Amino acid sequence: MPIEAENITPDLVVGKQLSEIERLAVYTGNRRHNLAELFEIRGDVADEVGNQTIVVEGETSLVKYIGSSMSAGKIIIEGNAGMHLGSRMSGGEIQVKGSVDDWAGAEMSGGYIRVNESAGNRLGSGYRGSPEGMTGGVIVVDGNVGQECGAFLRRGMIVVRGAVAPFAGVHMNGGQIFAFGHVSKRVGASAKGNGGLIACLGGVEQMLPTYIYDSTYRPTFMRVYLQQLSENLGVKEAAKFTDSPLERYSGDLACGGNNEIFVVSS
Amino acid sequence: MSFNFNGVEIEDTFAEGFSMWGSRIIVTAINRKWANIAAQNMTGFATSVIACDCETGVEREVSPESTPDRRPGTAIMVFGFSKKKLSESMLSRIGQCVLTCPTTAIFNGIPRAESDEMLDVGKSLRFFGDGYQVKMRMNDGLGERVRFWRIPVMEGEFLTEELYGAKKAVAGGNFLIMGEEERSTLEAAERAVEAIHTIPRIITPFPGGLCRSGSKVGSKYAFLKASTNTPFCPTIKHTFKGSKTPEKVNSIIEIVLNGLDEPSVRRAMGVGIKAAVEVGGIKKITAVNFGGKLGKFKIGLKESLEAT
Repeated sequence: MPIEAENITPDLVVGKQLSEIERLAVYTGNRRHNLAELFEIRGDVADEVGNQTIVVEGETSLVKYIGSSMSAGKIIIEGNAGMHLGSRMSGGEIQVKGSVDDWAGAEMSGGYIRVNESAGNRLGSGYRGSPEGMTGGVIVVDGNVGQECGAFLRRGMIVVRGAVAPFAGVHMNGGQIFAFGHVSKRVGASAKGNGGLIACLGGVEQMLPTYIYDSTYRPTFMRVYLQQLSENLGVKEAAKFTDSPLERYSGDLACGGNNEIFVVSS
Repeated sequence: MSFNFNGVEIEDTFAEGFSMWGSRIIVTAINRKWANIAAQNMTGFATSVIACDCETGVEREVSPESTPDRRPGTAIMVFGFSKKKLSESMLSRIGQCVLTCPTTAIFNGIPRAESDEMLDVGKSLRFFGDGYQVKMRMNDGLGERVRFWRIPVMEGEFLTEELYGAKKAVAGGNFLIMGEEERSTLEAAERAVEAIHTIPRIITPFPGGLCRSGSKVGSKYAFLKASTNTPFCPTIKHTFKGSKTPEKVNSIIEIVLNGLDEPSVRRAMGVGIKAAVEVGGIKKITAVNFGGKLGKFKIGLKESLEAT
């Protein structure tokens, strides 16, 4: 049974006694539990949220909403995390040593999420009916990601070191997606543009016919991004693309967009 | 009043610096050759605001490891009398001399935290893209936000940062090297400029950093606002009654320097003087001032030497 644990966030822990933290609410379905009924809680509580680190250990694949709406501090998840990790977060850092389920970083506006293994569908996307997905912050996934990664992306950056499932960047309207693994089809579908770009540095299965090829060149701006990825975000393979020729496509013409897709030239 | 330093007479006087707005940009290109070509073009005809729109100069070459795009770069500093003037000069010079130069890109050289103002030079440059310019964002929601503009050009794409830091800065740092003859004076001046450029965020806007025709305010001709510095012209030292040229001096070169802050200018003057007096044949070092009427910074030669 999934657990909804949006209280596992530095903002709601800081300044409290351990006994108060133990009584924070978590839910299984519509049943309310005290946090202490499902988790063993120990450690020190910081005075300021920025100094608060929460380490989550054990089998947490079905624990949802960890770090949801967090504004500062750090969460380290030693294993996997369930859906909605870091959704709507505005600051701070979440590190997941395993994988995350769907909707990680959905509608986040700031902060940093690092997933050491894979991520599910709708990474950094908008919720159904919402016009904007992620509006700031950075998500780096060291493994593969599921479908509709960066859907409705508005600002911020998503970096995927593994393979990317179909419909990456669907409806995006700004922001950047960097993919170092193979990118599946329908990338950038219905993307509007507004400075948005998708860099397919590991190749792409198929470009939509509504994207037009413009040119192959070595864009200087890409060097700036790749340098940041390589040196500041630990994406070492980025460095080898700094001088690579890239094919520039723009679209999606189906919606009058001017989004850019850059594909490493073979 | 004077004192002796390394066997050379140093007049106990001061350089009269004045306030200007200064900015710093990093020009990068595919290689050192093109970064320097862009920098040379951008810094042309900008020795003095007496007749130029601004004062600019190359501060230093920047190694690829230290530039945002990891290409060879050249740091340029630009000084203007107001933020508006500075901004206008940067816009026209970047637009005509850097944007046009193959493979170049430009980046802000003064971080926002150190700046008094951010000038929207890149934001104005973007219109050259005629609607096809692309906004590039970095660090949204994580760290300090930075904006760039990518402008399509015939050769490929020009990249400029959107905002450039500007500071209230110090211009008009100076000293005069007085030598027995032209060659040793020139050598001393060259050594001084070399030493000055070891100090960060300093430029020497005159050709090669040297001004052989220092000027005084005004002229006997009403239409001229500045004229040759007659007291320091050796060829008329006996003809001109108010000459300040010592008997054994037959050549004088002025070094003018601008910097982002007074301590840097003072230190740069000090290292420059120290380097100059190492050369044989140098008789005296002095500085130009207008009795405090021109600017608010009084940078003493003695204090300069003490600051090194």
